[in-house]
Amino acid sequence: MAGEPEAKKPAKGQSKPASTKADESSDMAKPKSAIDHDLIRELAKLLEETGLTEIEFERNGERVRVARRAKRAAGPATAASASSAAQVAADDGPIDHTGNPGLVTSPMVGTAYLGAEPGARAYVEIGSRVRAGETLLIVEAMKTMNQIPAPRAGTVTQILIEDGQPVEFGEPLMIVE
Amino acid sequence: MFDKILIANRGEIALRVLRACKELGIATVAVHSTADADAMHVRLADESVCIGPPSARDSYLNIPALLAACEITGADAVHPGYGFLSENARFAEILEEHNIHFIGPRPAHIRLMGDKIEAKRTAKRLGIPVVPGSEGGVGSDQEALSIARDIGFPVLIKAAAGGGGRGMKVAASADELASALATARAEAKAAFGDDTVYLEKYLTRPRHIEIQVLGDGRGRAIHLGERDCSLQRRHQKVWEESPSPALNAAARSVIGETVAKAMRELEYLGVGTVEFLYEDGIFSFIEMNTRIQVEHPVTEEITDIDLILEQIRIAAGGELDFQQGDIRFHGHAIECRINAENPKTFRPSPGKIVHYHPPGGLGVRVDSAVYHGYTIPPYYDSLVGKLIVHGKTRAEALMRLKRALDEFVIDGIETTVPLFQALVREKEIIDGDYHIHWLEEYLARVT
Repeated sequence: MAGEPEAKKPAKGQSKPASTKADESSDMAKPKSAIDHDLIRELAKLLEETGLTEIEFERNGERVRVARRAKRAAGPATAASASSAAQVAADDGPIDHTGNPGLVTSPMVGTAYLGAEPGARAYVEIGSRVRAGETLLIVEAMKTMNQIPAPRAGTVTQILIEDGQPVEFGEPLMIVE
Repeated sequence: MFDKILIANRGEIALRVLRACKELGIATVAVHSTADADAMHVRLADESVCIGPPSARDSYLNIPALLAACEITGADAVHPGYGFLSENARFAEILEEHNIHFIGPRPAHIRLMGDKIEAKRTAKRLGIPVVPGSEGGVGSDQEALSIARDIGFPVLIKAAAGGGGRGMKVAASADELASALATARAEAKAAFGDDTVYLEKYLTRPRHIEIQVLGDGRGRAIHLGERDCSLQRRHQKVWEESPSPALNAAARSVIGETVAKAMRELEYLGVGTVEFLYEDGIFSFIEMNTRIQVEHPVTEEITDIDLILEQIRIAAGGELDFQQGDIRFHGHAIECRINAENPKTFRPSPGKIVHYHPPGGLGVRVDSAVYHGYTIPPYYDSLVGKLIVHGKTRAEALMRLKRALDEFVIDGIETTVPLFQALVREKEIIDGDYHIHWLEEYLARVT
């Protein structure tokens, strides 16, 4: 599977103007050719290093766009449409958690909330110790709040969703080890 | 027009609906169980939402999950396909309560035609000829016997809450009636939760001929001709064609107009199919399906009308673009439903398709969600795909069908392609001389 972050996931990989790194590397004194190979190579390298799918760079009215070929992945694509700029903490690309015995997945479709109400404190944070059955988060569907319990006692080591994120059945939510 | 349609189904019909949405420029949401995460329509949809584990009850029939999926994606309409919740009036009502359009008929009509006794009463009221039978459900065995004697044996005992060929028992004589009734009631209770049964005269060698209708919900309705679906195994259609080899233009026009007129009176909205048994020149209404049918491509091929597109357009408030006089039937179309089953024993054969090459060329259409490397899951029906051919004449369609079947490669699983290869070479099929028991009689002969 391609596994590339693409339009379905929040924010990651959306086209952004290139960072200044590319600016510094191009040599303004070079003879102007139709294609600036060095620039493109530099942008491509940047793409690889950062895990972005697309970089668009404009200078003096010339624009270059370098994009990683994103396939329509069959994998766990979420339903998130246009979304906030906040990035999911900690990962560079979709990590497969399915083997992890501490993985807590969503038993339903809905919207995940980390606290009981907007503005309320989150039920848990990274490092929180929980008992079996203790509420980790809420998944709301059609105005009904469903508390998602910890399947066993342990420590929350990862929180894989953002507050207010739409989730599907089986969506990885948290890891409790 | 809708902005975003959630496709509440799977397999080939989900892909079919997705294609129409794409052509209309409508955003698509594919919902799927975990078993269908790799489905072709899921890959092609703009968004996808996993709604549950493999079991249909927890996924495709899971109304709360479907509603939640609508909510988080902002879908403003749902297309239910066929099967699953497509004829569930409550689902349609729940969607409407949440301001989501259900692409289908009004809940009242779904409910009306879902009750097979009420459907028959309504058909009769609207001037559609019905099979002679009990006026409603039968109470006591004595009542049943008296009615059966009136209409004449053999009689068919049918579940009021059944349909689609399920929940039917034959009683050939008065002696068999009591036990057939008891069995029918028990099975109906178990399968549909309702043991109400009614009686109909059992026609011995009828054809199954159904009429496709399209209504705009404001009193305008047209018919789009018939489909002959007589070739069935265990009441499941296997081969459908249009026009019916048994009808001429005059007969088609009469029954078509009778049905269209009834739909106008009902102010029917959307697509529907009125099913008949046809014997000795007489049509007898058996039931109406208030949804798109599996075999809809056959009608599309001979009329050049995209039925899914029309469904969506009309559900979005569009008017009927055609008058009856605008409908032209050209050529002949045949559809074969290819299942992942052993062609002789019909044992299901789910598994991975290691080589896939569908036939092509002029007049050949394959409606299938299967692809090279796809694994058919064991949880759902065994339909691999539908092969539909069109020709200028029935003879040309048959020749094209033979060629297309011989070219079709589906390796890694067993399929019923060999059955169709045999049928297309059978004299009575070539002559169009068959009825609803023909296929089972043929299978008994050859296996």
